[in-house]
Amino acid sequence: MSTRNLVLSSLFAAIIVALGMLPPIYLAVFAVPITAQSLGVMMAGTVLGAYRAGAAVLIVLVLVAIGLPVLSGGRGGLAVFAGPTAGFLLGWLVGAVVTGYLSEKLVNAEQSGLVQTVSFFLACFIGGVVTVYFFGILYLGIVGGTGISKAFLGSLAFVPGDIFKAVIAALAGRAVMAGYPLLPQRA
Amino acid sequence: MKSLYVETNTILHRLSPRTKLVALAAISVALFFTRSYVLLAAAAAAGAFSYLLVGLPIREALRRLLPVFATIAAVAVFNFAFNSAEEAIVMLLRLTTLMLFAATVTATVTVASFIDEITALARPLERLGVVRAADIGLAAGLVIRFVPEILDRYAAIREAHAARGLKVGFLTVLAPLIILTLRDADNIAAAIDARGFRRQ
Amino acid sequence: MDIRFQDAGAAFAGKTALQPLTVTLHERRIGIIGLNGSGKTTFARMINGLVTPSTGKVTVGGLDTVKDAKAVLGKVGFIFQNPQNQIILPIIREDIAFGLKNRGLSKSEIAAAVDAVLVRLDIAHLAGRRAHELSGGELQLAALAAVLATGPDVLILDEPTNQLDLKNRARVEKTIAGLKETTIVISHDLALIENFDRVLLFDGGRLVADGRPSETIVRYRELAAA
Repeated sequence: MSTRNLVLSSLFAAIIVALGMLPPIYLAVFAVPITAQSLGVMMAGTVLGAYRAGAAVLIVLVLVAIGLPVLSGGRGGLAVFAGPTAGFLLGWLVGAVVTGYLSEKLVNAEQSGLVQTVSFFLACFIGGVVTVYFFGILYLGIVGGTGISKAFLGSLAFVPGDIFKAVIAALAGRAVMAGYPLLPQRA
Repeated sequence: MKSLYVETNTILHRLSPRTKLVALAAISVALFFTRSYVLLAAAAAAGAFSYLLVGLPIREALRRLLPVFATIAAVAVFNFAFNSAEEAIVMLLRLTTLMLFAATVTATVTVASFIDEITALARPLERLGVVRAADIGLAAGLVIRFVPEILDRYAAIREAHAARGLKVGFLTVLAPLIILTLRDADNIAAAIDARGFRRQ
Repeated sequence: MDIRFQDAGAAFAGKTALQPLTVTLHERRIGIIGLNGSGKTTFARMINGLVTPSTGKVTVGGLDTVKDAKAVLGKVGFIFQNPQNQIILPIIREDIAFGLKNRGLSKSEIAAAVDAVLVRLDIAHLAGRRAHELSGGELQLAALAAVLATGPDVLILDEPTNQLDLKNRARVEKTIAGLKETTIVISHDLALIENFDRVLLFDGGRLVADGRPSETIVRYRELAAA
């Protein structure tokens, strides 16, 4: 990893941490906390692409593991990974990579703004929502003992909020691309 | 940013970080080999005992675990309602135990020793050329260094927008925040390279 | 410590940033001036190998900035324009120690070197402070300490007094005057370099004047007025 990529990933990890310190967006109150942090995970993909976005999220998860309160609400430490929703955190890592990969594939500078935004949304939806929920539900169903289908139904309540975040991440991804393009192109 | 390490000197602090991490891993696997209430309850009691030993005031000790315990409890209630009481109790005891032991490790291992352990763990990967082990500590330092700068910048952008009479929305602040933050990357990378830390 | 440019020029993406030039620097205090985009920063970055020459070569004390890149980095310290971006770790002491890691020093040797440089610049009270809380002047001195700790023979400072208030500016000026290392300062702050041994003036990617500060600064004023 070049020094520049290491710094870009670290700075984005810092953005994700900072987003967790801003007042949370309240959409629903249940087992999964809804904050701007998962928005940051999607934006990492749209702005940095697969490789650097994965590194950024990995850095955040390492900081959690080593005992720093970097998740929203000042959560941190290994205990976070003991919760039944820890699968969503693992989902962040894969989700950021998938969002980034799809952004690289689907979006390029020649497209119109609308096409770019819609493509970014698709990348965020598949990476930041479908992929994250896949891991989150799998873990909740097995480790949380609810069974997969019930975990799926129980998690549905949060999907609207996350789709809303995918829209924001897509708009932000497009705005950053227009102002300071970093996304590597993938033919 | 203050870490969750607790600065006291208990018997648990004196155990080597590696011993504690290996023990935690072993416990987390072992918990899933039993559904016995007695065994799981005993494990939970042991977890609670070890967590109490780390020397945190009781209020702070509970406050730290509340968010994670809330999700465990919520899922236990969900299990009780839609699956079985047995499933609810087993899951509640397992994850609570795991949470308590995990919190014990976090409270008794400093950030620096954690980074040392992760760096040691990454050494084999370094030989494969996947990562540079020393980068882990550098990345952690960079994040802690720049989070407060980003929060300041967020406030400054909001202020600048308000001063120009623009509507201050979350989205309108987000894009400039990302651009201004990432634009520093080249200079920060140059500062790192100029000090010869990463260049081969 | 001689710094030699032998027909050395630089280009980025096919665009010339600095026309090839031949010059030898051996004075102790050297100023570099010029308008924005004149090539002065490129020139400075070529001295420590951050920018590699696209033609010719650059040597520092006989070491080639391309072939002996690592050794050159050890000899030439660079202090960047915005000290905010130069301090990369949260606590000042950690940041100064950072540049000393990977050099085969023991923990106690690193700690001793950090303490020594803090005392040398009279900023021992900043050791445990968080970078985020420091003023611009304090950050600039901390950045200088971090670079001096690595023991360079040549120091390059890019706009060291930019954004500083008068008091901090005076402090940084005094610190620079007391340095025993070869010091190269890029600056718009002409008062800072008026007593230097030599000043180079760049314009449009060319070295257009080179000599005593009094002469080059006059040329610069004419150029800026034109």
